Amino acid sequence: MAITGLPKPPEIHRLTQSKYIDSVRWLPSVSPFQKHVIVAFFDVDTDTPSLEIHSLDPPKPLVPLSLWTPPSRISSLKTTRSVAAASTISGSVHIFVTGVERHDISGLEPVFTVVGKEFHMGSVNGVDLMEGNSECVSVGDDGRVNLVNFGVEGSFGKGSYRKVFDGNGLVSYTAVKWASPSEFVTGGYGFGLQWWDIRRPGEAVGQFKGNWNHGKTSGIIHSIDIHPSRKHTCLAGGSTGTVFAWDLRSQQQPIILSGVGTGETMTHPLSESEVWEVQCDCYIKSSSRGLSSSRILPAMFCSEDGILAVVEQGEEPTELLAEPCAINSFDIDLQNPSDIICSLEWESIAIVSRP
Amino acid sequence: MLAVSSEFGGGTSDSVSGALVPFLPCAEASVVYPLHHGLKPPISRVSISWARGSSLRISLFKSSSSESDADGEVGGKVLEVRLGGDGEMSDAQWRRIAYGSVSPFALLQSRKNSVAGFSKMQLSPSLYHLEWWEYVMEYSKDIDVLLGNSKPLTARVIGDQQEILKNREAPTSVKAAWELMEIFYADKLSKAWLPERLVDWLADYDSLLSSTQTTVHSKLVEFQSQLIKLQIIEDESTYWEVLASALAVGWLEIVVKLLRLHGSYHLDQIAKREIENGLVEAVAVLVSKMPRMRPEIEAGELGECFKAKPDFMKAWERWRAQVTKLDSSAFWVQCTHRLTRGGLRNMLQIMLGNLNVLCSATYHWIELYISHFLYIRPLTRGLENMYNLAQKCLQLKPTSCPDKLARLLIGILGENTEVVLAECSRGFGPWMVSHAIELLTAESNQAGILLHEERHSLGEISMEELHRLIYAQVLSSHVLTWQIAPIYLASCIKQGMGLLEILLNRQPIQDSKILLKNLEICRLYDLDSVSTNIMKIAGVYHWKHGRKGSGVFWLQQAHDERCLNRIAQQLFDYVGKSISGECFLQWEGLIELLGSESKHAGGLEFLHKYRDLKKSLQHFDHGKTVIAAQEAVESLMSLMKNPSTPQRFWLPLLYDSLKLLSWREQPLLNVSQTNLLLNKLQELSMARLRPDFVEADLPPQALNSVRLALATNLGRAILEEK
Repeated sequence: MAITGLPKPPEIHRLTQSKYIDSVRWLPSVSPFQKHVIVAFFDVDTDTPSLEIHSLDPPKPLVPLSLWTPPSRISSLKTTRSVAAASTISGSVHIFVTGVERHDISGLEPVFTVVGKEFHMGSVNGVDLMEGNSECVSVGDDGRVNLVNFGVEGSFGKGSYRKVFDGNGLVSYTAVKWASPSEFVTGGYGFGLQWWDIRRPGEAVGQFKGNWNHGKTSGIIHSIDIHPSRKHTCLAGGSTGTVFAWDLRSQQQPIILSGVGTGETMTHPLSESEVWEVQCDCYIKSSSRGLSSSRILPAMFCSEDGILAVVEQGEEPTELLAEPCAINSFDIDLQNPSDIICSLEWESIAIVSRP
Repeated sequence: MLAVSSEFGGGTSDSVSGALVPFLPCAEASVVYPLHHGLKPPISRVSISWARGSSLRISLFKSSSSESDADGEVGGKVLEVRLGGDGEMSDAQWRRIAYGSVSPFALLQSRKNSVAGFSKMQLSPSLYHLEWWEYVMEYSKDIDVLLGNSKPLTARVIGDQQEILKNREAPTSVKAAWELMEIFYADKLSKAWLPERLVDWLADYDSLLSSTQTTVHSKLVEFQSQLIKLQIIEDESTYWEVLASALAVGWLEIVVKLLRLHGSYHLDQIAKREIENGLVEAVAVLVSKMPRMRPEIEAGELGECFKAKPDFMKAWERWRAQVTKLDSSAFWVQCTHRLTRGGLRNMLQIMLGNLNVLCSATYHWIELYISHFLYIRPLTRGLENMYNLAQKCLQLKPTSCPDKLARLLIGILGENTEVVLAECSRGFGPWMVSHAIELLTAESNQAGILLHEERHSLGEISMEELHRLIYAQVLSSHVLTWQIAPIYLASCIKQGMGLLEILLNRQPIQDSKILLKNLEICRLYDLDSVSTNIMKIAGVYHWKHGRKGSGVFWLQQAHDERCLNRIAQQLFDYVGKSISGECFLQWEGLIELLGSESKHAGGLEFLHKYRDLKKSLQHFDHGKTVIAAQEAVESLMSLMKNPSTPQRFWLPLLYDSLKLLSWREQPLLNVSQTNLLLNKLQELSMARLRPDFVEADLPPQALNSVRLALATNLGRAILEEK
């Protein structure tokens, strides 16, 4: 395993499971010694999916705290400080209260569930929550964009949803991310990104055309991230190892951070396969200088060819993990950004702790 | 044999009638798989067929004339039953081994290729600093780690005085078999110390030799559990039996530890039993001083180790002389405790190699075999001698049903590669065979020739390839392991790539993640034709399920112009209905997807241009500027000239641009352009006579108003140009 760029290699723990991991997210923890994660499992032997909360203390194995059985496999999982949202491949969205104060409950039951032909047909590919906001945006294969309102905090239980857009299957969305309480970005086929404003419903307010790599094969956006402090810059990752940033202010010019076919800028891309997830990395290395607001934040991504790395505009990429199998998802612990949890294709979880 | 019985979750307590097929619980080797079908009896029909991998598909049908249809119960159910292995390891554990063995296997294969490359270039072997068997050893160690941990679970700071057996993770027979093959085939350094390596092997895996019959290990476990209850340990005959057994198989630390539990060590008794205690201690010292011919002794283990044969022989003779001397000592007469006297002298007989005593102290033939190496023939060399010795031990301790490890050992000692492979396959499955072949061919050229030779009876492939293909098939049959099958298939020169293409073509395309993972494998192995094919299938699948956008995307990726043209026609029907209004919003996304170049869009290029026309017409409507008008005319002309524009859109297009044609300020189309449009109109009039013509949904006077506008424009344009 080659680890470059860091003076001290990160500490890595691998926890083998006996189930496939569809997604994994950190949960806010009560104390620094007690960490919690929420994991979407799929047991192939019995053909049952499950959503589980575990306490984590590597290298010791995960300790299950609570479990809920979703109607089908989890396709997307997002968390905030107090709420978690999960979507399934059969087209439902479930909202959970995961706040610190609720950890003692043994059952993990959704406080609000939306399902039905009117809502989504087919797989819901992406959901997103915003800190302090009680709306969950969901996008799917059917081209629908829905807003699930699960009430103001404190009065969970009642909820509703409304349709923002219905693409009638002419488009399919694969990822979504809130930019502000009223704006969000969706991504889909052909490396396209759409900027939406719920105050101006019915149409995307901004389109990013994915045809900047003329003549090259096109691809799919798998993941989008927007840092709350830079809501005009959208980070996206997708096919052929592509990670790019789209600045709303300079509309049609993406800033490519990694990927094939970017010729001059990137001679040797870190990955040439699917980038499954991308997140802004706020972990500041002790050596690096302050980040100016004009620069794109460093981006962490994981890929099908088993790479977990940090890329930064005009800097050498830093490889954190190189696995023989795919890394399907990862999450940076917001409370302690040096810790990253990854789900690996070969039924295991890796925890990377940066020095 | 398979017997199927059904089980009703919380159903009737007496479920005698629940069994579909009567089965006899006493029948040996029958496995019962409970079926949770949840159907109410009676079940009229059961059909069993093979499903994917080693699972059975069982279809249960209720009788058709069921009167209970009212409560909405289903008429039957299809279940899959996975036929498990021997139950020693769960499926998840096997998958973990399969995942973990990929890297060592791939590394060894790439090293093999580079070594082959070196020898082709006729470079001297000194260029690579390691001998081949050392690479194989590295591989073997990696796999061994994967198969389980045989080290004690917890490091004890203070040893429990009463604990004679260390607390270990239960060893697996797969690991035992792997280590056995490593000892004999891969580890060149162990050749000189084979007997002692086997002693160590037995110490780790004795518990696996038999699950039903007694072994030294099971005897010790039993004794350990009674130990706490025993008051005067030396009065128990089992104590002496266990001591003799442990000594016979060379577990010296346990023997010494047990001896020190002897009652004569107690402070209150030592004065009375001085001689007895002296004898016990003398035996303990002799045991702990036993000479062993091995390179090293691990910390905490007893015995004195010698590396060279002459030194060992000297020490061995001296040690035996001491044992004999003690045996003929006069102190025995003064030892009043009968059991102690008998037990200790029995142990001395073991140390002197008394075959009868050894026979009664051991249970399994392998234990007897090991005791031979320790006390009778410590210098046994050569597989032939070892084989003969094994046969002798087998005669002394015959077993009715030989265990899989014992069969494997006999195969190895018999130097029969085919038997070894067969035993691996029978006892441990395809994973073991395909990975153990690397060990078998590490050194022995003969085995190498046998395994690499292409055989007519196997369809011109070698045994090695055959076993890899079998293993790859097993991997392919599971949703989680199919992705690692390509690694093994790629190492099969003859049939690997063909099977790989079949595997990739067969993967489901419904799930886009699996589809992308599949395409990634195609990319790694340069299988462009396969990936194109998969993308076509995915495109058509999504199209058919109403996801037009993803359908178009995948067909574009596959460069499938023919399919795109066909679906374009279907799309136009849809467009014809919805697009003529102002609501073009839904189409935006799809049109964006087609891109500005629309190289691979086929007939869908039209959509893109139509959108452009609509946009410029809107511009024109708002501003009425010459520039906007000219832009609109340009896109109208390019649409009308383009052969991909369907005929039935001609009239709607012209009708939409009516304002453009009859703009008062100036004629926007020149003479030739107008003529072209008029020609198109003429062509359209002819086409209307054909029976299959589809009339556009326009007001009846549309054609005439367009014709009029064009004629007016023509007149004005002629005047203008003059």
